[in-house]
Amino acid sequence: MTDQTTSARPASGGFSIDFKAWGPLLALAALCIFGFILNPAFASEGNISNILTRSAFIGVIAVGATFVITAGGIDLSVGSMAAFISGVMIMVMNGLVETMGVSVATILVGVGLSVFLGAMAGLANGLLTTRGKIEAFIVTLGTMGIYRSLVTYLADGGTLSLNFDLRSLYRPVYYGEVLFVPVPVLVLAIVAILGWVLLNRTAFGRHCVAIGSSESVARYSAVKINRVKTLTYVIQGLCVSLATIIYVPRLGSASSQTGVMWELEAIAAVIIGGTVLKGGYGRIGGTVVGAIMLTTIGNILNLTDLISNYLNGAVQGVIIIVAVWLQRGQWKRRGRSGDGG
Amino acid sequence: MNLKSTLTALAVAAGLTLPGAASAEKVKMGVSIPAATHGWAGGLNWHAQEAKTRLEAAYPDLEVVLVTANNPTEQANALEDLVSVHQIDALVILPFESEPLTGPVLNVKESGAFITVVDRGLSQDGIEDVYVAGNNPELGRVSGEYIKSRLPDGGDIVVLRGIPTVIDDERVEAFEAEIEGSGINVLDMKHANWNRDDGFTVMQDFLSRFPKIDAVWAQDDDIALGVIEAVKQAGREDELFIVGGAGMKDVIKRVMDGDELVPVDVLYPPAMIATAMDVTALKFFSNAPVQGRYVLGAPLITPENAKDFYFPDSPF
Amino acid sequence: MPDGGVAPDVLMHAERISKSFGTVPVLFSVSFDIRPGEVHALIGENGAGKSTLMKILSGYHQPSSGQILFDGAPVTLPPDGLAEDLGIVLIHQELNLAEMMTVEENIFLGREIRRRGFLDRAAMRADVAALLDRLHLDIRPQDRISDLSIAQKQMVEIAKAISRNARILIMDEPTAVLTSAETETFFRQIERLKAEGVAIIFVSHKLGEVKALADRVTIMRDGQWIATQDAAELTPDAMAQLMVGRELSDLYPPMREPDVDAPVMLDVAGLSSPAGVRDVSFQLRRGEILGFAGLVGSGRTALFEAICGLAPTSAGTVTLDGAPARFHDVAEARDAGIVYLTKDRKEKGLLLDLEMTPNLTLLALDRFVRRGLLDRAAEKAGMERAARRFDIRARDPKVRARDLSGGNQQKLLLAKVMESDPQVVIIDEPTRGIDVGTKQQIYHFIAALAAEGKSIVLISSEMPEVIGMCHRVVVMREGHVTGLLEGAAIEENEIMLHASGLKGRTTHD
Repeated sequence: MTDQTTSARPASGGFSIDFKAWGPLLALAALCIFGFILNPAFASEGNISNILTRSAFIGVIAVGATFVITAGGIDLSVGSMAAFISGVMIMVMNGLVETMGVSVATILVGVGLSVFLGAMAGLANGLLTTRGKIEAFIVTLGTMGIYRSLVTYLADGGTLSLNFDLRSLYRPVYYGEVLFVPVPVLVLAIVAILGWVLLNRTAFGRHCVAIGSSESVARYSAVKINRVKTLTYVIQGLCVSLATIIYVPRLGSASSQTGVMWELEAIAAVIIGGTVLKGGYGRIGGTVVGAIMLTTIGNILNLTDLISNYLNGAVQGVIIIVAVWLQRGQWKRRGRSGDGG
Repeated sequence: MNLKSTLTALAVAAGLTLPGAASAEKVKMGVSIPAATHGWAGGLNWHAQEAKTRLEAAYPDLEVVLVTANNPTEQANALEDLVSVHQIDALVILPFESEPLTGPVLNVKESGAFITVVDRGLSQDGIEDVYVAGNNPELGRVSGEYIKSRLPDGGDIVVLRGIPTVIDDERVEAFEAEIEGSGINVLDMKHANWNRDDGFTVMQDFLSRFPKIDAVWAQDDDIALGVIEAVKQAGREDELFIVGGAGMKDVIKRVMDGDELVPVDVLYPPAMIATAMDVTALKFFSNAPVQGRYVLGAPLITPENAKDFYFPDSPF
Repeated sequence: MPDGGVAPDVLMHAERISKSFGTVPVLFSVSFDIRPGEVHALIGENGAGKSTLMKILSGYHQPSSGQILFDGAPVTLPPDGLAEDLGIVLIHQELNLAEMMTVEENIFLGREIRRRGFLDRAAMRADVAALLDRLHLDIRPQDRISDLSIAQKQMVEIAKAISRNARILIMDEPTAVLTSAETETFFRQIERLKAEGVAIIFVSHKLGEVKALADRVTIMRDGQWIATQDAAELTPDAMAQLMVGRELSDLYPPMREPDVDAPVMLDVAGLSSPAGVRDVSFQLRRGEILGFAGLVGSGRTALFEAICGLAPTSAGTVTLDGAPARFHDVAEARDAGIVYLTKDRKEKGLLLDLEMTPNLTLLALDRFVRRGLLDRAAEKAGMERAARRFDIRARDPKVRARDLSGGNQQKLLLAKVMESDPQVVIIDEPTRGIDVGTKQQIYHFIAALAAEGKSIVLISSEMPEVIGMCHRVVVMREGHVTGLLEGAAIEENEIMLHASGLKGRTTHD
């Protein structure tokens, strides 16, 4: 039996690629080629820039989700948390216009508030799961409903809109460019790099992996489980806050519809990227690729009328499943044992 | 199951005997509407709440019970509660969907309550006493008519549709019928789900895809606001104009201010719920005969008449 | 091959059974028989081959050679518990019940009574009620397993076996986790089964119980059959003698003379823990190897988990190197210089899906951080150093911990705790499931650590290990210390007597 597998190896040896690492990127490349064939406008500079900019919200949130999921948790509240933070930010900034005027300071207060709210919301999720010993799924399902209702309440069911003049001032945070790179893309890149370093090059990141891999081993190995897990939710909250900081200037509004399904998109991005849903293995780079991929699917569907609008969801579903299947390399393993027999 | 139908039967029986007794005391009006899950529905809720406050002040003997629902099933349950718990004398309902709610509304009718249906009709005639109808095909037709008038020699347009539903279909079909043969070419239609973010994204992609767009029918003001941002980002404001719908205050304000990008809006007012509640209250507190159909138009809002439709306090 | 000489009243006869796992032989031509209505105890040290023999008798393992006669005819027992259909039931030490299901559901699990495709709950409930009644058990069919005590769960296992018309019931240390009162109930149950003609084979380390319960006793040692005798003819002392029976080889490194003037590193006084530790006191000197002997569940692991902040304490004091020590988590204990090396390599010791390096550095990760970032080069160097020092052999440095052999896993675990440079090392069952060669290596590592001046606690259920390695031995039973043995008193018989409660302080409080 052992001989068979070793003798079969050279057949596939010449074509050996680490699909776990490169799978998501290959899938994205394939998707891009497909998009270009369907409509050459896909490859235009403007469109690529649109895709990357659009990916920033989910991308930034998904980087946070990578930490939570790697440490064996889950956070379903991110979408409504984003809506809630956006709403409060807008209300407070509008209120400050009277006293502080239309100024950068007003915006900075809003940004500071957003960071504070994000950290607190994350802390609440974290403490409820660790100290409260309630499953993360339930805690964040609960907070998901709470934030969603709160934003609906704050907006009277309608839309909260940012003061028009303030918005003009704030606008460059979404629409601006630094060295030809759109600001949101820059933010995503920085968050991804910091996230990568934190996950792969610090004791904290190693502890996340250890907890996700086996909580009891981590406990016996002097890992402060509650602290590390809580911190992953705080990081998630901060990422959500960062996403809202670049989201608010885009349309200058928040409503009960803001951030709907972002939690699922973020989790999907994380898993497409190769992170294991049950924890113990996380890939920041993959997560970013996953987020870009999700946006790209939507973009391609908008660029063609080949597929009925009603089937958009089905196309997305199929692509997500195929991408993860490729990444897991199951098809490869089966192919090899077939060769051996 | 058995218990439940027994209870319903009891409730219906109780309801039948009640109106006479109740009218001597307080009149109870049940109002059942969809929850504020998108902008327009948010406006609907706001207007319903306003009307409740206003009517209860005007008629001390009136009590309004306002309930919201997230889907047809929830709404059907809410109707049962209105009959059995609140024992309402009148029902004002904006049905989620026509088919599934026809039966439940009929049950309320059988309890003896006065029925006012708003916006969407029921699938069976004669249940409602009053029908305050929105006019979805009219919204599509008026929009088409305006775009046709602006592009007399034809042109290329894109359409952003709503959530795939009957309402969306009615609007789009009427729109297409209106522009037929006018030389106006619809480049593509995509669903933007009556949502600002989706409007932004879909429009960005339309802009990447089509080098020349003469007009955008956004159908809804939330979508329109997203579209405006996408167009501004691409710097193509001078190339096209946008027609939204519903009458959101932000958009009416733009029309009022003479924004070239958003020259007009087509009204589909969430305030129709207030109208329906007013009419229903009259049934109990005046001698005027209250019966029949009130079909609301979908008037075009232009810079000239915009101030008549502008409610700065409404959330919508 | 067939042997005509089997006594007529023998239910099952195992003849010259040998068994090897790969190239490692574990049983050498062992013969064994069991009669209806008989209680037959199987005793021997850990690793003597009792478990393997039990698994062969119940079909979970197939013998490498030899044969089994059942009702006088040679049989090949079907694997995976299917021998239950023949009436041979093995009750594992870790009971095999679905925790969230009811007693009734468990008893009928896999052979539910059905009527027209639907479960016939009434019939099953009635059957189970009758069965529980017959066995005089105070359990209701609708009780949930998770709500029952361990003893009750065991009774459910027995009831389940009976409901399957068990003729031979094989039990692995059935009383190890029972209180004395529960043990009494268990005994009565065994008597009842015996009267019904059920044959019972059980393994126990509690020689007093063996004496009281068994009709015959078979003693095994090092995979060999030593003797089968009537229990009436044997005293517990004699049993222990037969079990030990060999001289200690040079498996163990020469023992250094303990330095009686060495400072006390760890001083535990009157420590109790709700995890199952009662009023334990002892002292550990620098450079000393202190053994902790006792039966499984005697509270040794709980004691040291309580000391290291892994379990709560309710009374008593711990002094480490002269300073009071009350730790809330492992990190505090580690920083104070005391580490606990778990016996549960897979569940609590190693991150099985990770490579060796992150496993090695996990406990002392702070030492590999420079300016906030992990120093990967230092980690790599540490891994190479540890691999050399503890002779950790892997085909590939990137191999996952899961794919290492048990011996290499244990060495990696030892290396891991040593990375934090502790002063006191508690090693729990260091050689469980490890081949003799690696065992010897690990013994030498432990001795070398002590020679360097580390203080070692060696928790072990393998008596030769305790005797061969330790300067002094603490024996525990039911959460408290029953004896502290020194010098010549450290011998197997003496330890066994203390561990099984026949000698030393046995009264509670």
